[in-house]
Amino acid sequence: MGIIASHVGKEFGEPSVRVLTDISLEIKDGEFVSLAGRSGAGKSTLLYILSSLDNATEGQIEISGKDITKMPDEELYRFRNQQMGFVFQFHYLIAELTAIQNVLMPARKYNEEIKRQARAEMLLDQFGLLNKKDRYPRQLSGGEQQRLAIARSLIMEPKYLFADEPTGALDTVNAETVMNILRDCSVKDGMTVLMVTHDPDFAAMAPRQIRLADGEIVFDNQNPAALKPEVKKT
Amino acid sequence: MIFLAIRYLMERKRQTILTLLGVFFGTMAYVSVSGFFMGFQGFMVQQLVNNAPQIHIEARQDYLFSHTLDESFFGKEAIALWVSPPAGVEGYMEVQSPQSWYKRLDADSRVEAYSPTLSTAALFTSGKISVAANMIGCHPEQHSKVTTIADYMIVGKFTDIGVGGNRLIMGDELMKRLGLGMNQTVMVSVGTNRAVPFKVVGRFYSGSRGLDLQSFASLDDVQRVNQTPKQINEIGVRIKDYTEATAFARSWSKLAPERVESWADQNVNILSVFAIQNALKISMVLTVLIVAGFGIYNILNMTVTQKRQDIAILRALGYDTFDVVMLFFSQGLIVGVVGAFFGLIAGYLFCLWLQTIPFMNASPSNPQGHLHIAITVSIYIQGLALALLSASIASILPARAAGKMTPIDIIRQGG
Repeated sequence: MGIIASHVGKEFGEPSVRVLTDISLEIKDGEFVSLAGRSGAGKSTLLYILSSLDNATEGQIEISGKDITKMPDEELYRFRNQQMGFVFQFHYLIAELTAIQNVLMPARKYNEEIKRQARAEMLLDQFGLLNKKDRYPRQLSGGEQQRLAIARSLIMEPKYLFADEPTGALDTVNAETVMNILRDCSVKDGMTVLMVTHDPDFAAMAPRQIRLADGEIVFDNQNPAALKPEVKKT
Repeated sequence: MIFLAIRYLMERKRQTILTLLGVFFGTMAYVSVSGFFMGFQGFMVQQLVNNAPQIHIEARQDYLFSHTLDESFFGKEAIALWVSPPAGVEGYMEVQSPQSWYKRLDADSRVEAYSPTLSTAALFTSGKISVAANMIGCHPEQHSKVTTIADYMIVGKFTDIGVGGNRLIMGDELMKRLGLGMNQTVMVSVGTNRAVPFKVVGRFYSGSRGLDLQSFASLDDVQRVNQTPKQINEIGVRIKDYTEATAFARSWSKLAPERVESWADQNVNILSVFAIQNALKISMVLTVLIVAGFGIYNILNMTVTQKRQDIAILRALGYDTFDVVMLFFSQGLIVGVVGAFFGLIAGYLFCLWLQTIPFMNASPSNPQGHLHIAITVSIYIQGLALALLSASIASILPARAAGKMTPIDIIRQGG
């Protein structure tokens, strides 16, 4: 099970620029993986393709045994809602909603906001935000906003958590808090966490580290054999 | 998604209120302008259908043209060249068989009342003053059921002309021209016949110059003066539903040689004015609603651009295209519904106020001299429908654009 990508490639734009070349990768359930690389290496693109937000030009991606590249829209949206959590560099909180309403936003899609109320408060409590649950995002600090965004990504108890530079906009202290939360998701809750970061220290916090360069995997500490010979030299 | 749509609207109060005002004034304008025009037209129609019979059954007289008679004289094939071509009118001066008309009208349950009349041009002479005017002979009881003439009496009763005895009721204008007073005698002559004295027993004033230049007497008296006993030249009919008058006229005209015309046939010019008014009203109101629609469109377009990040995150959270379309469409619709609701109320109150202001000189047909404003359910339903239509069209375009946005494009551009 887990996430299995086979021969995934991606081209962009007109004239087309190749961003990813022949990526094959297996991420097992419960793994905490960091994707590192210079900017433009294709690490974010890979993350979005693996998480169904972006489409691959070629290749196929299986999540929990289902080919998401062939999934009907309806099913894909439900899958995203129930199984996937997203954390971005920017928090993308909805300014018009209070902290707890933001957390419950995914639950609203299938009218579960009452059912999930207790979990929302539990998550806010866990992230030290319970006393601020009726505040609006603009009344929170940057670190609090990002923790709120993580709480939102966890509300539906997803199996997979995708994080794109989750510490990118944070100071060191807040960044460490966020990193600890992500690690706990994997270690304590058994979630599969895939995180993109350009910070080598944070990348090193993940047991499995993958590095990309020019659209190809150049380093994978759990699976060195998978690398292509000519890439390995560099 | 309505939950979030309402939040969005509440958070941008000033913009929301501004767009709301567009719809508000649009709907209000529709309600009041429609009320104004419909009220005026309704008033006019009431005048037309009440002041005169709704259906006229008249002796048919067709003009003779040079070749009208060719066929009956010489057969179909012939070409006739007249030294002195025929001229004048063809037909009858009177209704041919009034009795069969009476039977037909009595039997028809949709007929409320009818009144046979004989009208003739007469010369009224009082002292040295002579005025030519129309003299109408009728049965006063029957005639007052067909028209509102009895309501316009300012001196005497319409029934005072009775069934005979040379009594006359005159219009105000005619009396003034003759310099006559009540109970005075006036000499009436028709054609080349000898003048007959009539006594003025009543006076009416309708406010309409044409009607006020006429006079009424009993049918028998007029028939005698005209030297045409038993003859009538028109039957006026009032039916229960005046809107059916034209259809009646069409079907009845097939039954007898008489010309049968409805009030609408006789007032085509006024009805065409109504059509122009309605076209004017529609174009005016459409302009207002288009402006209101553009207001919604503009603001919503801006909102979609501002809320790109929200769209991205909603899509990432598993919301589908329909949800995102509804998020923005419902905002426009809410503005439309709320604006229309208050616009309808304001329009209603405005109409109520318009009704109370004195506008023209009082006349017998409009005793208070105020404006006539129609307040009918259909106007309000139409107003609501138009507002919702314009709001829907204005919101569906930005909403669809929002639905087409993919999360990845927004995130890649850094929001």
